Amino acid sequence: MRLSRDGWAGLAVLAASLVLFLLTLGLKPSALVPVGPGFYPRIVLGVTALFAVWLVVADFFAAARPAPLPAANYAAVVLHFSVFGVYVAALPGLGFRIATFLYVAAANALMAPPVRGRDWLRAAALALGTALATYYVFEHYLSVLLPRGRWTDF
Amino acid sequence: MYELLLAGIANVAQVKYLVPLFFGTLVGVIGGALPGVTITMTIIVVLPFTFGLDPLQGLVAMTGVYVGGSAGGLVTAVLLGIPGTPSAIATTFDGNPMARNGEPGRAIWLGVWASFFGGLLGGVFLIAATEPLAKIALEFGPWEFFSLFILALSMVAGLTEASLLKGLVSGCLGLIVTVLGTDPVMGQERLGLGIEFIKGGIDFLPVLIGVFAFAQIMGEIERRGEDARGAVGAGSRLVVSHAKVIWEIVSHPFQLLWFAFIGVLIGVLPAIGGSAASMMAYDQAKKISRRPEKFGTGVPEGIIASESSNNANVGGSLVTIMAFGIPGDAVTAVMLGALTIHGIQSGPLFISQHPTLAYGIFAAYLLAHPLMVLILGVAARWMLRIVSVPKSALFPVVLVLCVIGAYALNNTMSNVYVLLTFGVLGYLMVKFGFPLAPFILGVILGDQIEVNLIRSIMTDPNPWLFLTHPISGLLLAASVGSIVFALWQHRRMAGRTAAAEADADF
Repeated sequence: MRLSRDGWAGLAVLAASLVLFLLTLGLKPSALVPVGPGFYPRIVLGVTALFAVWLVVADFFAAARPAPLPAANYAAVVLHFSVFGVYVAALPGLGFRIATFLYVAAANALMAPPVRGRDWLRAAALALGTALATYYVFEHYLSVLLPRGRWTDF
Repeated sequence: MYELLLAGIANVAQVKYLVPLFFGTLVGVIGGALPGVTITMTIIVVLPFTFGLDPLQGLVAMTGVYVGGSAGGLVTAVLLGIPGTPSAIATTFDGNPMARNGEPGRAIWLGVWASFFGGLLGGVFLIAATEPLAKIALEFGPWEFFSLFILALSMVAGLTEASLLKGLVSGCLGLIVTVLGTDPVMGQERLGLGIEFIKGGIDFLPVLIGVFAFAQIMGEIERRGEDARGAVGAGSRLVVSHAKVIWEIVSHPFQLLWFAFIGVLIGVLPAIGGSAASMMAYDQAKKISRRPEKFGTGVPEGIIASESSNNANVGGSLVTIMAFGIPGDAVTAVMLGALTIHGIQSGPLFISQHPTLAYGIFAAYLLAHPLMVLILGVAARWMLRIVSVPKSALFPVVLVLCVIGAYALNNTMSNVYVLLTFGVLGYLMVKFGFPLAPFILGVILGDQIEVNLIRSIMTDPNPWLFLTHPISGLLLAASVGSIVFALWQHRRMAGRTAAAEADADF
């Protein structure tokens, strides 16, 4: 198979649009509108599928391959997405203040690993400052209620 | 119109609006000056702070961010040789050499005053053009609106630097986001995929925040590089004769007008942005110069061209959102979101239904420019200390503010899950070379495209009406024309690249 990442992306988009297109066939027509709720999605998904096929075909017959991705620290990206994912998952349980404190401390430590005791203190101060300052400003001055923890009630 | 503008200026000059405008401009200047932090990211960070304000206070603060951010990038571009924002790239070409040649003050102030004059010229266009354009748009029926949105989408897909096909796929992906959840006409549930946070439909703001914030931050994390520092010392003297610098700019009024015109024109076209405006103006400055060979060594025209067009671009971008409800770029897309949060619909009726808001934005735009000059005048020398804030401290805080921005939209976790999901998708799209601008425009316009399509069918099911209604037909023809033009341009560029490679081989 001589597909590059463009071709694989095209195949992924094609698969997603076809699956969604099939799902629109099960939508019931509306009594009040001459075209049902599936009419417009079918047009969008059909056009997307056509473009995706074009992308795959163009990639398959392309004379030149797109340049490979430059070397980068993708492990760090996966790690940061994971930490952020854990933060989002923990927010309803731990509440904004505790989850934010833990997240900022962890993300900061991952990006600039603490070596000395002073570095640990700096990471903790940043985390505490962010959690408390944002909570105070948004709850007290901007009337934005931030999540309370289901497990901590804090 | 002028009475309303004067009333708007008097209104915004009150302390309760002047304070958010000042802080917005200050944050914009700092965000613009921070390498790796774009104006979009800055305005995303500011967004949650506007939730508790009244609509005009919020919009005034955001206008300040936009104006301040457009000028702030020049500080690091000149003193460090690192553009704070993409729109300051062209300023680096001559600004940094001029600073290295011992004239950092002249380089900075040429940029600041050029931003000021360019921005005000953009403001003249903004104020003069918005109302007439909105009046034209008021004559539009669903056919014309449908065709206008299709034109905006096809232009964005075609004008992005990536391949046309990827631009089109990206726009379609944005439209797909809007078909998930609920039907905007009857509110009937469809394509919820059994996922709780999709069932009610997807708000565009968390999508926008997720896509742009993560694409930017994760891009920085994967590079893990430290910024180069120290082109010009933090203790440099930035004192200059302002009269002399201003004369350098205004003594060539036609050049200034031309650069501002380029900026406005690029601003009106959706999603091209300030970087293209400043690069095009820089290119024009070089072409009309009597000494083009000197460009890149510290010539003032290079800085003036880049900065004046870059700030004029802001005025152009605001016109499209205020007259048609189509965001000119990601920054105005966030402003559109802020309007929606306050239950205000932007578009042709905006200026007539909300004159206080509309003229308040005009006034804020005009007042933000002297504030920007003041802030840069006082803070330019300390800016270098501010921009050395480590990214390891900055990025987690930015992401926390993104979470607050998403959560506070309706006080549920659903939007935070949307933020994360589209953060991952946005990063992957960038890695696979799909432009983000058409995607975002698709997400923003998708519902409107559907609503106008269904309305037109309900009025008259004859599909030929899209072509036989003159304005609609013209807009659709322009849409096809923009795709054909993009195809031609991409082929021409590919041909040039191939020719250059062939020359290199031999």
